Amino acid sequence: MNSDTRYIFSTGELFQKDFSIVFRKEDGNIYFPVKDTRELYCFNEVTLSTKLMQLLAKAGIVVHFFGYYENYIGTFYPKEYLLSGRLTVAQALAYGNNRLTVAKPIVCGTAKNIHFVLYHYYRHGKSDLKEFLDWLHKSVPKLVDDTGDIKQLLRIEGAIWAGFYQTFREILPESFAMNKRVKRPPDNPINALISFGNTLLYTKTITEIYHTHLNQTISFLHEPAERRFSLSLDLSEVFKPILVYRTIFDCVNNRKITVEKHFNKSLNYALLNDAGRKTFIEAFDERLNQTFEHNTLKRRISFKQAIRLDGYKLIKYILEGKKFVPFCMEDKK
Amino acid sequence: MLTGTLVNYYTHCRRQCWLFYHHINMEDNSEDVRIGRVLHELKKQDKKEIALEGIKLDKLTAEYVTEIKKSDADIPAAMAQLEYYLIVLRDKGIMRKGRLECIEKNKQNKSIHTLTLTEERMGELKKEYRSIEEFLNSDVPPPPPKIKPMCKKCAYFEYCFI
Repeated sequence: MNSDTRYIFSTGELFQKDFSIVFRKEDGNIYFPVKDTRELYCFNEVTLSTKLMQLLAKAGIVVHFFGYYENYIGTFYPKEYLLSGRLTVAQALAYGNNRLTVAKPIVCGTAKNIHFVLYHYYRHGKSDLKEFLDWLHKSVPKLVDDTGDIKQLLRIEGAIWAGFYQTFREILPESFAMNKRVKRPPDNPINALISFGNTLLYTKTITEIYHTHLNQTISFLHEPAERRFSLSLDLSEVFKPILVYRTIFDCVNNRKITVEKHFNKSLNYALLNDAGRKTFIEAFDERLNQTFEHNTLKRRISFKQAIRLDGYKLIKYILEGKKFVPFCMEDKK
Repeated sequence: MLTGTLVNYYTHCRRQCWLFYHHINMEDNSEDVRIGRVLHELKKQDKKEIALEGIKLDKLTAEYVTEIKKSDADIPAAMAQLEYYLIVLRDKGIMRKGRLECIEKNKQNKSIHTLTLTEERMGELKKEYRSIEEFLNSDVPPPPPKIKPMCKKCAYFEYCFI
């Protein structure tokens, strides 16, 4: 499967030549054709000019920048090309009047997809997972249903994730065991992987929302003030288990990523090194571009497209009142 | 205000017409649309394109208004668009006949179709345009139709059927 995302790991200069994007690094030039590029990721010191930005903006190419410590710096977000005043107004009204109607399915969907991921391990002999799986399956929908306000809903969501982290000692080797989720900055290898993976997914979702009419700042589960583009936090939520965590489990359990080789020793292994970052991104990108038969559309789509389709579902709810049900791995829709 | 494109879409698919009018247009990667756009650009170079009040004419001669389409996939929709052009021109005192040129003929055995407006037809159309305007001002788009073969090529396919 072809990827339309270009990842830049070395230092160099990005510029426009004819109608292509060129990356000049120490050992030569690389050409990125504009037509098959949708997204650029810069993980190193990269110089670029406004002339190039003009081309990027015209072609609708989104660029995400990361700093030396894998920290997300920001996104070059080209001028919007899909705008609908009618939808923007309706999105804001939906936030005001029906916030929970959108937020609840996100929490339920997350629980479902975590269930899907863990069930695999349960089937392969991790019987201790049963209790948590039952809770996700039976109790969570009821808890969510009974909730009348967003704070309570967020507490349920917190409990789901906390329970999920607890299961890691069952399914991951001891060197990756996790006591507690620590963010900004992460303090051990597993937290580093989660932070990095979540940020990657957050930026991917920004790009997908860019290609819809949705307003990136009006979110439902998360507070619109939480981040600049908080809708991306909402829409990426249900995809975390199946995209980020499955990539982590695959990399760790199949020893594609190990603590000794792929983390920065001088930083107490709390950060991926160059090799680790590349391995993780490769595995993540492959998963994102993996295709499957969509059960409603009856055509093959990639997970990346599935993120955008969730954007369409949200538009359909906002505009036409069709019930919003985010992507569910089990139903493949 | 109505445009030729809207009248075409209204005949082709009402849902598409409503969405397009409300600027819910989809990112389009379809090769057919790209070809259509390039054809339009090429025609523009031939002769000056004439644009007025929501209509863009591919060609205007002493006798005909000509609309050029890539294919004859939806002749009734293209004809409706042409009729709209004729009426707009007529309201300005310009009388012409309509001429539709399809570059590819896949369904029909001729590539050129002509049309002449009658007084009676004009009255019908004026009424129809009022109902299109009313339709566009409704709050919700009409629900997606049952999947038709033509839907599979449409940029709205995913949005309609998700």
